[in-house]
Amino acid sequence: MGTRKHGRLVAGLLVVPLVLAACSGGTDKGATDGGATAGATQGGTLKLWHYEGADSAMGIAWAEAIKVFEEETGATVEFEQKAFEQIQQTAGMVLSSDEGPDIMEYNKGNATAGLLSSQGLLTDLTDVAQERGWTDMLPESIQTTARYENGVMGSGPWYGVPNYGEFVTVYYNKDMFAEYGIEVPTTLAEMEAAMDTFVAAGIVPLGMAGAEYPAGQLFYELALSKADRDFVSAYQTYTDTVDFQADPLKYGAETFDAWVKAGYVAQDSASIKAEDMGVAFINGTTPMIVSGSWWYGRFVSEISGFDWGIFNFPGNTLNAGSSGNIWVVPENSANKELAYEFIDITMRPEIQALLGNNGGLPLAANPADVTDPKSQELITAFNEVLDNDGLAFYPDWPVPGYYDVLVAAFQSLINQSKTPQEVLTEIGTAYDDGVANMG
Amino acid sequence: MATVTEPPAGATIVPAPRRARVRSGRRVYWLYLIPGAVLFLGVIVVPFFMNLYYSMTRWAGIGDPKWIGFDNYTRLFTDETFWLSFRNSVAMIVAMVIVPTLIGLLLAAVLFDYLGKRFDGRVASVLRATYYLPQILPVAVAGILWGWVLNPQTGALNVILRSLGLESWALNWLGDTSTALPTVMLVMIWVQVGYPVVIFMAALQRVDPELYEAAELDGAGWFRRFRAITLPQIKPETFVVALTCTIAALKVFGPIYVLTKGGPENSTNVPSYFAYQNFFPKSQVGYGAAIAMVLTVIVVIVSIVFIRVQAASERREGI
Repeated sequence: MGTRKHGRLVAGLLVVPLVLAACSGGTDKGATDGGATAGATQGGTLKLWHYEGADSAMGIAWAEAIKVFEEETGATVEFEQKAFEQIQQTAGMVLSSDEGPDIMEYNKGNATAGLLSSQGLLTDLTDVAQERGWTDMLPESIQTTARYENGVMGSGPWYGVPNYGEFVTVYYNKDMFAEYGIEVPTTLAEMEAAMDTFVAAGIVPLGMAGAEYPAGQLFYELALSKADRDFVSAYQTYTDTVDFQADPLKYGAETFDAWVKAGYVAQDSASIKAEDMGVAFINGTTPMIVSGSWWYGRFVSEISGFDWGIFNFPGNTLNAGSSGNIWVVPENSANKELAYEFIDITMRPEIQALLGNNGGLPLAANPADVTDPKSQELITAFNEVLDNDGLAFYPDWPVPGYYDVLVAAFQSLINQSKTPQEVLTEIGTAYDDGVANMG
Repeated sequence: MATVTEPPAGATIVPAPRRARVRSGRRVYWLYLIPGAVLFLGVIVVPFFMNLYYSMTRWAGIGDPKWIGFDNYTRLFTDETFWLSFRNSVAMIVAMVIVPTLIGLLLAAVLFDYLGKRFDGRVASVLRATYYLPQILPVAVAGILWGWVLNPQTGALNVILRSLGLESWALNWLGDTSTALPTVMLVMIWVQVGYPVVIFMAALQRVDPELYEAAELDGAGWFRRFRAITLPQIKPETFVVALTCTIAALKVFGPIYVLTKGGPENSTNVPSYFAYQNFFPKSQVGYGAAIAMVLTVIVVIVSIVFIRVQAASERREGI
């Protein structure tokens, strides 16, 4: 018995590594081998990377797109789920190697897609975009993030294709508004009056997260209330010099400061993270937050105790927002045609409708296909911004690493450790250095 | 396993072939060094020189690096954040080396000398394990937990303080520039303290109990025994703890990344995090490499100084 048991154990131990080896080979090499044979007879393999959660609007819509793509082309999709940070930090190195994907979701903006395009790592999609009609499907301000001239967005060849949009809006707790008899504000003055009512009742009206993006976005929304498209172009694409000591940026910083002083924004929110701010809204303790449409799906599924809604930042025609992340085709992609076909499928009305019905903001959906009422509310608000040509992108986009600068600067306004002028000087210097550095 | 404890029969009677084996062994030894040498080359030497090269370039991480000589280094010396990050390194040394070593010494002596003798040995073991727990906990988990505890609005600490009527004590721990660094330091002491405790307790087991007995008979009190016997006897371990913790303090990254991301207003930034900020998010690889280079040089110098001092002290004592 004993020896037999041992024998079996030894045999088992010998087999395990073989099985493991077979497994690891199977997932990796096997799939490509399979793909190669399939390629000969059917449609090949498309190596696809994206970083959207499987149950997010994009995750759901793109999973369906993969299914349709496989059925129609007979090709196999070799999908790898990546993390945002992973792609953000290693894209350059991966795409210079042979290990990269055939198609990839990538972050839009000068510091990311712009940088890679200027290094020749991304395929020029201009002709394909025209042939397949993407140029007509996407609104003008959305196309800004698809085109890069020497790494600067806004003009030049197409290097990416956005599939969805996002924008910053105001989420509000309808029950709390009703309790204090507050109407949805339509001007900044009304917004301030509404906040005064909350402050008088001992409630901090505006959720804030000084450790992350929300502070910078509130500052930008305030600045945009005094800005026009020329300012946005100057700030985002360096068409003109930006004076940080003048309006609209001056107004943004001073009003932010005034709001902290008035108690609209909590003075102890410098170390709060966006997640905590969102959770406070979900818990029904915060009447309002100024934040992005990326929260929408989550609020729909997680808020149950009260009624809530959105309104666009009162009085603004320009709002922080942009296309979502974009599909890019690496220059080293072995299957560019398949990649184009896949992008095309994600632009189809049925895939776009799926995205819209799951809390995303489709760019090419047929409005009648979006049936979910809560989704309609969001899409209506977004369309209002699009109709005004109102997407003004994000405050941290212009120079690499500006995000950290803005976070630190607005932490000092929240903590009241610096004056608005000092903050403007600080972010102005970093902006000028950054622009100079890009040469 | 059992065979390990038994010395192999005849292990001591192999005089004849030994000389021959030694001679051919010399060459064989080099073979054994190859894997280590290859790893050393691949993991340390090559990246070191690559980093040195990058630190003399302007490079965004892709494309061709542009040679700019010592520009990154001259820029470093006028960069306020760089100096601030090194000042914070000193705070980290206090929080990760000096305080934990002192507390560790005391705790180890109390656990070993007092609790270990008065109570069941298990009490000391359980306490030792408790102190060591933060060392085992992944830093990301510990950081997130502390983030919750210290949240100024909903965190456990402030909620408790407020419920006790101590509203003015409920500070904005990680959000205020005046409290953020001390708070991070306290968390680091909590993380770090178990390490010296475990090392020192192991060291104390090595000390001859007769020394203590003799001292006790001579009427030496606990503190006297601690100073005259414990401290000198475990000096080598103290050096090791101080050296490894100092290097860890200079390189600290994870806790800062999870707790504060260097904020608020850069008040908790440290060299590793500052290098990372430049290397990755800002795509200023050359500048990030220069910071890393300075940090490396400092770590090497500190290590050499430590080892020299330790060697000198051992020579003095004739160990």
